Amino acid sequence: MIPAAFPPWARAETLGASMPEFASFQDEPPQMSSGTVGKTGFLRLGFEHRSGQTILANLERRVPYMVQRALHCDEQMPGLAYVFLITTTGCLLQGDRLALDITLRPRAQAHLTSQSATKIHAMDANYAAQSQTIALADDAYLEFLPEPVIPHRHSRFISDTQISVAPSATLLLSEIIQPGRKHHHPDECFGATVLSVSTAAARPDGRSLFAEKLVIEPRRYAMRQTGVMDSFDVFANVILCAPKDKADRIHERAGADIDLADGVAFGACRLPNDAGLIFKVLGRETAQVKAKVREFWGLVRQEVIGAALPPPYLWR
Amino acid sequence: MIIENDAVDASSSTAFLSRMLQFGDSMFPIGAFAFSSSLESAIQEGVVTDAATLRAFARTALEQAARGDCIALIAAHRAATTSDIDTLARIDALVYARKLSEETRTMSVRMGKKFTEMGVEVVGGPLLCRWRECIETSVTPGCYPVALAISFAVQSLPASQAFVVHQYGVATTILGAALRLMKISHIETQKILYELTGQTGGMYEAAATARLSDMAGFAPLTEILAAVHTRAHVRLFMS
Repeated sequence: MIPAAFPPWARAETLGASMPEFASFQDEPPQMSSGTVGKTGFLRLGFEHRSGQTILANLERRVPYMVQRALHCDEQMPGLAYVFLITTTGCLLQGDRLALDITLRPRAQAHLTSQSATKIHAMDANYAAQSQTIALADDAYLEFLPEPVIPHRHSRFISDTQISVAPSATLLLSEIIQPGRKHHHPDECFGATVLSVSTAAARPDGRSLFAEKLVIEPRRYAMRQTGVMDSFDVFANVILCAPKDKADRIHERAGADIDLADGVAFGACRLPNDAGLIFKVLGRETAQVKAKVREFWGLVRQEVIGAALPPPYLWR
Repeated sequence: MIIENDAVDASSSTAFLSRMLQFGDSMFPIGAFAFSSSLESAIQEGVVTDAATLRAFARTALEQAARGDCIALIAAHRAATTSDIDTLARIDALVYARKLSEETRTMSVRMGKKFTEMGVEVVGGPLLCRWRECIETSVTPGCYPVALAISFAVQSLPASQAFVVHQYGVATTILGAALRLMKISHIETQKILYELTGQTGGMYEAAATARLSDMAGFAPLTEILAAVHTRAHVRLFMS
């Protein structure tokens, strides 16, 4: 049971209250107020390796977050627990507070994804916040590759991810951010008010590995500026925590290029403290970016597990 | 002696100013000339093509520095005025953990180490000596903003001047590299420098009031350019 005094979504609440970029968005929505039932999603997933395959040994959930069961549908990795994250509201609204805790015990292998893109709706009060913790024990392997995030105009979103990863474990974490519904309305291209995405990783003993905080405020800092988004629209941030030898081989094969004519740019850098790699992709369209992330994912599987990727979904 | 057109005591302000000029000069031997801050690959890849794109590229670098490194710089200056080595080491680790490409890390720690060594030789004093020892014994990585902050604090030069020197260095590193990498005149680079340094005022106030956990940024194309540069066959610069 979740102790009533310190519910996990309280972490998400604290985030927004403490960050300066959200100081002016502390007003309550005129609809349901922030952090009430139905707006405080919680999901705790615990994966364990048992007799040759990974099972979802622990599952706690609270709407709008939902998970049904782990599937073992990946023919290339039959032991891999494949889990779809479901949000019953289908989007993020002002006042939403979400918390996601993922734990992989030794040798557990899991793939997490979402059913569809996550829309962050327009906001005129407050903000939406999400707090995630990911803990990987020895030789654990997690692919967390959700569908893109679509921040609508005037949306305000804060996300914080705290990672604890054992030196022998592998974490592939991707986040694809669209500029908005750019074909819907001209204001939808970089129309969000503020997106704040923080990620920090440490070893299980507490040794810090790296930290990144991306703050996107299109009205304060020009998005089209040279060196920022330039002529690109879609951005992917892919973090790979992996043992150094494997990360080096993946880095060698990942390549880096900027093609302004085709509208795609990508490249991987070595993270500090031998934590792994960070792979960034920019593209004009989401499909180009997803294709590059998939390529990188393929390299990771091949080098870390020795397995191939499942064929792409026909409808995603 | 008080001179009419000086707001402060002239003899001490001229001494301070000379120090700031010396430690902020591009001639100060910390090896900044060896880096282009990804401008080299930006030119090779056609991202920077003329004076306008160069100005925007340099502006991005200044904004990123103001939102990230400079917050640490000002915090480190505060810690250095009380000779608080533990806090300095903590700030240094935070800066290092946020340098997500090997080239930006190399640039920061090389310039940080050189700056500290020059500080020990030229200025001296216990704090700089202890900091150099911490770097040499790998107790701390020794990133540039922290080194700059310590050297300025021990000379009683204010944090605002350290900030100006930091941002001036960011701009001149890129503009100096531009003169060697692309078709651009000294007049154009000076115009860009004049324009960009005129915008640092508001940036300083934002950085000075921010907390270390507020260090942030967003320049994905610059980061991809750094990844492209590490793989380039022909390289004139180290970043």
